[in-house]
Amino acid sequence: MSGDLDLEQRYRRVLRLLPGYYRDKWEEDMVAAFLDGWLTGDPDEDSVTMEYDRPTRQEVVSVVALAARLYLGGASAPRRYFAWGQAVRNAVLGVMLAHAVWGVGQLALFARSRHLIGWLPPPAGGFWPMLSYATGYAWIVVFVALVLADHRTARVLAALVLGADAVTVLHEQLAGTLVSPFASWAYLIVIDVAPVLAMAAFHRDAPPVARRPWLLALPAWYLLVSVPVLAAELSGHAAWVPDVAGQCCLLVSVVCLFHAARVWAGRGGSGVWSLTLMLVAAVTALYRIISLPLFLQDPHLVKVDLVELLILAVAVALVAPDAIRSQAAAPAPFGYREPG
Amino acid sequence: MTGQAFFVLTALADGPRHGYGIVREVVELSQGRVKLKIGSLYGVLDRLSADGLIEPDREEAHDGRLRRYYRLTAGGRRALAEEADLRSATARVVRARLGLTGPEAAGAAG
Repeated sequence: MSGDLDLEQRYRRVLRLLPGYYRDKWEEDMVAAFLDGWLTGDPDEDSVTMEYDRPTRQEVVSVVALAARLYLGGASAPRRYFAWGQAVRNAVLGVMLAHAVWGVGQLALFARSRHLIGWLPPPAGGFWPMLSYATGYAWIVVFVALVLADHRTARVLAALVLGADAVTVLHEQLAGTLVSPFASWAYLIVIDVAPVLAMAAFHRDAPPVARRPWLLALPAWYLLVSVPVLAAELSGHAAWVPDVAGQCCLLVSVVCLFHAARVWAGRGGSGVWSLTLMLVAAVTALYRIISLPLFLQDPHLVKVDLVELLILAVAVALVAPDAIRSQAAAPAPFGYREPG
Repeated sequence: MTGQAFFVLTALADGPRHGYGIVREVVELSQGRVKLKIGSLYGVLDRLSADGLIEPDREEAHDGRLRRYYRLTAGGRRALAEEADLRSATARVVRARLGLTGPEAAGAAG
């Protein structure tokens, strides 16, 4: 016996992964087509099939892929799924932008090592630092490819970068140079793996990305945030500069405040950007939390980190009502006509 | 148009078919290269339906379940013809560049 369920019930259980509106429309049809592929018309054989067989892994994967595409909806999806799709796409672009800014910083360090820029400190040499530079440059290409809708290049390159980052963390752990293995692995999962998996939101139904503002955001972030931070550190004011997680907390908080002002002025749009900011803030808060073990020996720094989290929470609370609005009142799914 | 959508529209070109009928026809059309899973098939059918290229034709009872048949719309027929022309023209260019034009090429290929 293979549990109490028969093949049809097992397949229906897989189909529960799909959004309700989609199941209402297609479930019976999908079940009929699925069983047509299994049943032969011989009662004895079909009885055994129904009792013992189960959906193949490929069938389950096809339903999971369909579910991902539907929940992270494209232009023709119901409003709430489209809002989630857009928010995830924007959040992925935001995280990739942060990676790309870091990559530009690595590029500047590399330029310094070639004596192209005189006022930056020289980088360390060797294989592992060079691998770090290479992954930095690769993030720039991943970000630009994603903005230019070359999703395949972005995914393949991002997968390679993930592999390189995982190998780097493993090497450092084996060498005993990691301050907190938990923080390093958690960082890899939250900041690298999760956003790359979320690239699934860039499917063929997704609307095109607004290229100009995203491409301009890269030099703007570097010049307006990274360069002043670097200048402060080089001029002996490093103690006043938050670490990268803290910078991200404050930056996201400032963006939330600006967006909240736009919402209050009635120019906030459909709530998609508020939902985006909530997602980005969640990733940023996780980033801040998983880096806490690095500062446990200094209670003052832990307090600073917690204040940064508090500022982020307050800023996000300002856009949360608008984000919830984007989930309200999903209209009926797109036009499906019954036969006849 | 994706390869899967092209095959599904082609499977409906000579008459209405139900879900599994489309799967079987696509296997035959593609000489076994494309085996649509049900999740993939209904992703394609959903999109083609939303684009107005296919529509439900009728429902028939079979072993206690309803099979829903789909057919091409006029727009679907037009889109399929345009895509076929495009693919055919592309194939001609490729064959010409590979020096595979003419009856001897057909013989070599066969």
